[in-house]
Amino acid sequence: MDKVYGAYLCTGCGIGDVLDVDGLKAAASETGVEMQEHGCLCGAEGRAMIEKDIADKGVNSVIICACSPRVMKNEFDFGENVMTTRGNLREHVAWAAGPAVEGEEESEGVDEFLQEMGTDYVRMAITRAQKADLPEPFLLDEINKNILVIGGGIAGLTAALEAAKAGYKATIVEKEDTLGGKALGWRKMFPTRYPYAELENPTIEQMIADVTGNADITVKTGTEVARIAGAPGQFNVTLKAAGTTSEWDAPARVTVDEQDLIDKGEMEDPNKGLKPYTELNPDGETFGAVVLATGWTPADVSEFEHLGYGTIKNVVTNAEFEKMAKEGKVPARVAFIQSPGGTDNDKDFPYCNSVTSMVALKQARYVREDNPDNGQAYILYQHMRTPGNAELFYKGMQQEDGVFLTKAAVTKVEEGENGLVVQATDTLLGDDLALEVDMVVLAAGMVPTTLDEPVINLAYRQGPAFLDLDLFDGYADSNFICFPYETRRTGIYTCGGVRKAETMEETMDDATGAALKAIQCIESANRGVAVHPRSGDMTYPEFFFQRCTQCKRCTEECPFGALDDDEKGTPLPNPTRCRRCGTCMGACPERIIGFSDYNIDMIGSMVKAIEVPDDDEDKLRIAVFVCENDAYPAIDMSGMHRNRMNRLVRFIPVRCLGSVNMVWIKDAMSSGMDGALLLGCKWGDDYQCHFVKGSEIANKRMENIGETLGTLGLEPERCAVRQIAISDYDKIPAIIEEFVEEIIELGPNPFKGF
Amino acid sequence: MSMNVQPDLDFIRDMKSAGGDTLKKCFQCATCSVVCPLSSDDNPFPRREMILAQWGLKEQLLGDANVMLCHQCGDCTAYCPRGAKPGDVLGAIRAYAYKHFGWPAGLANLASSGKNLPVLIAIPAVVIFVMWLISGGMHLPTTEQFAEVGYGHFFGHWDFRLLAKNVFFIDLIMLPSAGLALYAAYRGVSAMWKKMAESAGVGEALYRPSVPQFIREFLWPSIVEIIEHTRFKKCEANKDRVKGHQPLLLAFLALFFVTVYSAVSQDLLGIFIPSLHGPMSLMNPVKILANVAAIALIVGIGILWGNRSRAEQEGQASHTFYDWFLIWMIMGVGVTGLLAEIFRLIGVVSLGYLIYYLHLISVMMLFLYMPYTKFAHLVYRTFAMAFERYRESAYVKNPLSE
Repeated sequence: MDKVYGAYLCTGCGIGDVLDVDGLKAAASETGVEMQEHGCLCGAEGRAMIEKDIADKGVNSVIICACSPRVMKNEFDFGENVMTTRGNLREHVAWAAGPAVEGEEESEGVDEFLQEMGTDYVRMAITRAQKADLPEPFLLDEINKNILVIGGGIAGLTAALEAAKAGYKATIVEKEDTLGGKALGWRKMFPTRYPYAELENPTIEQMIADVTGNADITVKTGTEVARIAGAPGQFNVTLKAAGTTSEWDAPARVTVDEQDLIDKGEMEDPNKGLKPYTELNPDGETFGAVVLATGWTPADVSEFEHLGYGTIKNVVTNAEFEKMAKEGKVPARVAFIQSPGGTDNDKDFPYCNSVTSMVALKQARYVREDNPDNGQAYILYQHMRTPGNAELFYKGMQQEDGVFLTKAAVTKVEEGENGLVVQATDTLLGDDLALEVDMVVLAAGMVPTTLDEPVINLAYRQGPAFLDLDLFDGYADSNFICFPYETRRTGIYTCGGVRKAETMEETMDDATGAALKAIQCIESANRGVAVHPRSGDMTYPEFFFQRCTQCKRCTEECPFGALDDDEKGTPLPNPTRCRRCGTCMGACPERIIGFSDYNIDMIGSMVKAIEVPDDDEDKLRIAVFVCENDAYPAIDMSGMHRNRMNRLVRFIPVRCLGSVNMVWIKDAMSSGMDGALLLGCKWGDDYQCHFVKGSEIANKRMENIGETLGTLGLEPERCAVRQIAISDYDKIPAIIEEFVEEIIELGPNPFKGF
Repeated sequence: MSMNVQPDLDFIRDMKSAGGDTLKKCFQCATCSVVCPLSSDDNPFPRREMILAQWGLKEQLLGDANVMLCHQCGDCTAYCPRGAKPGDVLGAIRAYAYKHFGWPAGLANLASSGKNLPVLIAIPAVVIFVMWLISGGMHLPTTEQFAEVGYGHFFGHWDFRLLAKNVFFIDLIMLPSAGLALYAAYRGVSAMWKKMAESAGVGEALYRPSVPQFIREFLWPSIVEIIEHTRFKKCEANKDRVKGHQPLLLAFLALFFVTVYSAVSQDLLGIFIPSLHGPMSLMNPVKILANVAAIALIVGIGILWGNRSRAEQEGQASHTFYDWFLIWMIMGVGVTGLLAEIFRLIGVVSLGYLIYYLHLISVMMLFLYMPYTKFAHLVYRTFAMAFERYRESAYVKNPLSE
């Protein structure tokens, strides 16, 4: 498209008070774009001015130098044919000026350092506009909107029903011969309505009837998923009879080194006899998205020998007790042991979450129901977890005669004269206890089916399973605090016991959420836009394959496994799997990957648009690449709090630190800048990166570039990464200040001016 | 040594019916222990008592000195986030303990339940009425006689071996009642002491204090503390109770003195000096004391009555027979006593005699039911306070091994 630029400067919100407006306009003119000013650009009059230019002069590329791009989005939206670029003069300059520092001379007029910040941001905004293009969405030739639900338990049934209610067709694949899963074996459900006092009859039979009677839901029992290939909107799924093997089973991951060995005949191909992962099954079924609801298995508690499971009769798990309660009457005196006790006594049984607390209360009610006169239910816990309204159920149970609760560390379960004797110490009663009971129930947790097996069976280059599930004890979950239901495989959403140990009631909510997520994904693919967290982004990575060296870095590093590769190793993009983080772009040493409005050249040019004075030792320049997800809003918030920001730094927003290509650092250093800083999300066990791996990968790359700088005679300390949480807005000025101090200590870049 | 748990479900039901109906609400947060002055680091009172009660472990509770030491100031109940009313639960435990330690068991059971109230009133009413019939004093005196001898001829007016017949009959009624009560209290307190000693781990002491030592070192300081109301004054939520309880206690002491004086002067000296019989002059210092005490008694119990009603209205206390029976009895004694005197002074014979009859009934009830009703705290708490001193003393704790 032929671009007609229109640059506009807002002097409101204090911008015009601290900056020299004519100076800013002159900086724009130097780039060949004339800038007009207005006292309130976001107001009706200001926008009318812009709209008039669009109508009269055919302006199609609007540059707004005003507030943060995170605000006033609708005000500066001039339709899909006009591209808007924002320069942040308010939060990053005017509002970051802060109060006058004591001892600093009360300067007449405009501060020189602040003005330089302003002109740099104007130049960067114009450069950005010059280097960006209007995106055109990637559209699939053909899209399938059906949803595959793996697992026919309460989660799967709910997901299928909810999808059908929303007007989508669903197919349930269940490995057993009947629908219903574990819920079929439960006697009662938890209360779902006020006053949360009475257990309710299970609704599972009704749900099965609803599913089998629904024309939009196909049920395939005794069936398993052999492999899922393809991408959202076009998943190619091969099903098989449960327990059989097939040539379409998902191939195991083979690394580059392993492939070498296989080629040399030094290693056996683990995928021998299987179809290559890139091959689509012509007989396979096509689906738009997948809901994974394969549930859980009861945890093994026999490792806790002092509790006697497996060796003493009448020591059972909660799941076994539930079955007993469903089939008949339960004994009168029952001890519910909620944690293994022993020396490690503060820990609960693994995989229990709050479910086992709730289940113990429920089963204590069975004891009382079946033995109204002499029922005695002892609940020995380290923690009782009864979230939300379940607290009311807990209160009710606690008040029931014959229900005895205490915190306790169980030291032994043994056979006594009159049943079993439970020994416990550290109790609320002050003394050690010896409880005589008829039965002991252990609160075994819910082990996700994804702990030991891939389950999802993907035919992806990065392997058949979800990655890094060890961070979540095997639960199929990406960071569930920020992104419930999301996995690291776009178009695949998890719910129920496979995602988190949860009750039936929670599972139903969960499954509804996952079904809606699946629908959202299908509709996003249909419009060629990204799903969470860059929802609605129309861009997608474009490759200049002629220059690809098949180094496989992009295919390895993509956090979402969006890139497969052909036999030579050239990437095979799957745009509907892509989340648009740009990690591939950051990884590519050949710099052949880019987006229409975000690419290597654009950010590189923006870096170069920063003016670096080469004869003033006080005016050092530091390029700060800022993650748009948390760090950038945190800097905005710092500005809103009018915290003073160091005036030597220049913020450049990036989609994710994973997208930062090291060439930008080199550009910055070679243009004479004195330091480069990356601000991104926390990584590690409690990672907050919206693209899971971006900040971690960036950190590794920065360690490597440090070495490169060293060989050039530059101190590696000039480049650094800092982890910022969105709540760190008050700390950011100090973090920046500290880094700048380090750079000042190092002195100016010795290559300045070359 | 671990505790063999055998929950007594009946005990829990008992607790719930005796004002501890909120018992099971406790979820062991220990807010009560933070506000209770009786609580210590290694004895979180009443948090621990709450769970013992929830679990129906009555043996542990009966030997728990703190249960008796609690003054039911209500701070725990006021701060309880769960509305479990620990104060009331402890009251219910005490009620249970009085019943448990009470002898004879039949009488103890009778006195513990509100539905027996007609029987509880009927027993003294019938006894006194029968004695009245036996005495043959069944006639009303003339107004002049009434003014001179007051109620002195209630049970007739002949002398019985130098002892005024009236005095004889009153002694015949009241002394056995008081004697029974004293014996029952002695048995109960002994049993309680034994249990407390057991549960506090007080074994056979090498040296036991002699009776005078016991009184001097443990009992007397406790009595002084009771009179001074030092613990009561630590209460926050229910500060006003001191204003009622202290005059009431002092009134009882004064009336005890007056009764003893009157018994000595009329029943003993009166044998030799007949003029000592009959009502005392209003100007007599003892009579002044008696009247002041009577008013203090009514005012004191009135304040307690008001406090309790208010607490119940505000949901800070439960309405129980256990608490109210004592208030009613004391109010009954005070009001009938004062009214009887007034009717004597204004010379209304028939009404005076009826009120006097009611007064005798209420006094006998107070005596007879003392060991089984809330009134029992008079002895149980006093000895629990003595025990508290005892268990901390060198008789129990070897100061060399601490």
